Amino acid sequence: MPREIALFDALVPTLLPIFLASLLLQWGLDWLVGRFGLYRHVWHPPLFRLALFACVFGGLGLLAMR
Amino acid sequence: MSAAAERLSGSTSRVRPGEVFAWLRGAALDWLFVAKATFAVLLTGWLAMRFDLEQPGTAMMTVAIVIHPQSGMVIAKSFYRTLGTLVGCAVAFAIVGAFPQQRVPFLACTALWIGLCAGGASLQRNFRSYGFVLAGYTAAIVALPVVTHPQNVFDSAVMRVSEVMLGIFVAGIVSDAIFPQRLGDVLRDGVRSQFANFIVFVRDSLRGALPRADLEKAHLRFVREVVQIESQRSSVVFEDAGVRQRSPRLRLFNHAFMAASTSYHSLHHLLNRLQGEAHAPVRERLMMLAGELADALGPSGSEPRVAAQAPALAQRLSGLHERLVAQARGLRAGLHARAERLDFDTGAELVMRIAAELHDYTDAYALLASPRAARGLVEPAPFSHANDWAGAAIVVVRATLTMFAMGLFWLDTAWPEGAGAMLIATIFSGLMATLPDPLRAIRYMLVGYALGIVAGIACVYGVLIHMDGFVLFCAALVPFLLPGFYLSARPAWPGVGAGYLLALLYTIAAKNPMDYNALHSINDSLSQLLGVGGAGVAFMLFAGTSDSPWLLRRLLHKLRMQLVHACEWPLRGLLPRFESASRDVAAQIVAHTRAGSPPSREGLAWSLAVQETGRAVIELRMALAQAEVSARLRDDIEAALAALADLYATPGNERYARARRLIAAAIDEAAAHPALRSPLHLIRLALLDTGSVLGAHVPAEEKPHAA
Repeated sequence: MPREIALFDALVPTLLPIFLASLLLQWGLDWLVGRFGLYRHVWHPPLFRLALFACVFGGLGLLAMR
Repeated sequence: MSAAAERLSGSTSRVRPGEVFAWLRGAALDWLFVAKATFAVLLTGWLAMRFDLEQPGTAMMTVAIVIHPQSGMVIAKSFYRTLGTLVGCAVAFAIVGAFPQQRVPFLACTALWIGLCAGGASLQRNFRSYGFVLAGYTAAIVALPVVTHPQNVFDSAVMRVSEVMLGIFVAGIVSDAIFPQRLGDVLRDGVRSQFANFIVFVRDSLRGALPRADLEKAHLRFVREVVQIESQRSSVVFEDAGVRQRSPRLRLFNHAFMAASTSYHSLHHLLNRLQGEAHAPVRERLMMLAGELADALGPSGSEPRVAAQAPALAQRLSGLHERLVAQARGLRAGLHARAERLDFDTGAELVMRIAAELHDYTDAYALLASPRAARGLVEPAPFSHANDWAGAAIVVVRATLTMFAMGLFWLDTAWPEGAGAMLIATIFSGLMATLPDPLRAIRYMLVGYALGIVAGIACVYGVLIHMDGFVLFCAALVPFLLPGFYLSARPAWPGVGAGYLLALLYTIAAKNPMDYNALHSINDSLSQLLGVGGAGVAFMLFAGTSDSPWLLRRLLHKLRMQLVHACEWPLRGLLPRFESASRDVAAQIVAHTRAGSPPSREGLAWSLAVQETGRAVIELRMALAQAEVSARLRDDIEAALAALADLYATPGNERYARARRLIAAAIDEAAAHPALRSPLHLIRLALLDTGSVLGAHVPAEEKPHAA
């Protein structure tokens, strides 16, 4: 994929929409994990959330930039 | 305010080892916050310079503004700040696009937008209000630097958004991932102690009489707790999904608490009115009934144990109703006079209602404390707020005029830094409007700003000028940042820490490479001070609720109107709406007045009257909706309610006498319907009470007997 894409005629980094998409995905995952109470099995929930987001964003970004 | 209130309520005179330990723990938490905040600011500065952002200083200021000891607060504040920034940017495009070269319409339009946003902010209770203010002044921050060359507005907007977002992300991650102090824990402790305190309070006071002054004090505490739990709930949902799942239960808990505390107050008012020899048989019987409930609440024990026993307590309370009914029947048999029976029935019904509501409350707490996720829970009614539109209108006018006046000053003097002064004045006239005592806050802010400017100039021209490289830059900055964050962690001087930090970071205006221009720095500092001072003048000219008796009277009227709504609005969802909105107004009155001052006491007295009578009115209307009654009785009750609403809308002797007459007539008519008679009787007793706020309207010849 190109490094920059035109969004309404403004050039934005491709990573920006990916970032927003992973925020959405993260929100959904977070909801699911909270819904089933899985955070009780996690030592440090905020760190876990952060790590999960890093995985989601990193994975999507690497996929797109391949 | 909340932290200060907690400190006040928790203060004791003796010092014990446990307290020393708690104090040390508190101090350690304060310093942890200081370390985290300093780290976040420096990390943001480094990232902003790595990313080649235009003004790393803006990103660092964002961190200083957003950071808070509890991570839930940071994330909530960040969320609304993000929304506010994006909306503000969009509006900046529109304004610059509409008036690219015309300065007066441009200024007027921006001023109006900022004023409207500030007004919107004053209608909100939590960080949403912050988002509104942000949406207002972000438009100005984006548009002002490009007034002279409007074609750059897009770049300016992209830069501001990037800087603000960077600051928000770093602040959120640092405060949430590194040794987080979670708002959820604070809230859990708060809920637990509220539950234990209330149960213990009810248990210990059920057996004796509570004087009115104590009732007022307890009422004040409950109102504060209810509003505080609601406000923390609205922030904590950002912290993690587990808490978010439990948010409806927390709402349920708060509603149950409001219902139970109102009924409990009614019972005590009733018992207080039954003082004296003539009422002794009824009072003693009611006390016996209340004693039964007190026994069910368990033997006296320490507060932490009460919370742990919530499920067992809920079970005990659920079996209580039959026993209470049986005992009430036995006690009633000993009473023969009609008036006595009426008093007793009303009181007995109240005791049973309290038992049922305490059961709901305990149940809600037990559910909240159990670790299992909520399933199949109906969404409880939202917490209703009641706002005064005149107050909001004043906020709009104040913010708009502040910006316009400062803008004209800027245009006329052609002082390059005038825009900065205008911006600061506008920001503070919006931000401070939501505080209980804005003038005092501005005074503290001004002190903080003065200190921060001195420190900033000392830092830039005394230290930074000799430093080279990012590590040394940090080393130079840290000693200046620490006192600011320490001050903002301690609520002793609210605003001094924040003002100091803002002025410090603004004066330093970190950039890569740094820009050493003493003339510009001094000019800038002057404009900052002028801006804060300008906001102060605006608050003097257009007084907020705390300084304006007129607005306070309007709030009082708003409080009384809650009773009118209780009489008139459709019944569906009315009870939770009434209970939360009336407490919301009472909390506003309390926040805007000094504790113990005549207006504050008047507000509390009205709040008690509205709460008690309103609850009885709603019970009456619910009973009326279910009962099969003659058209005549229905008409009588409706006339009585209308007269009552009239009395509360505009209190007066004539209306008072009319309401009393009509209610007495309705009671006579309702002799065959105990479900209707009890709430009517409660309403009447509340009207007759010479100690209440309506006591002023009781005809003079009755007073000695009633007392």
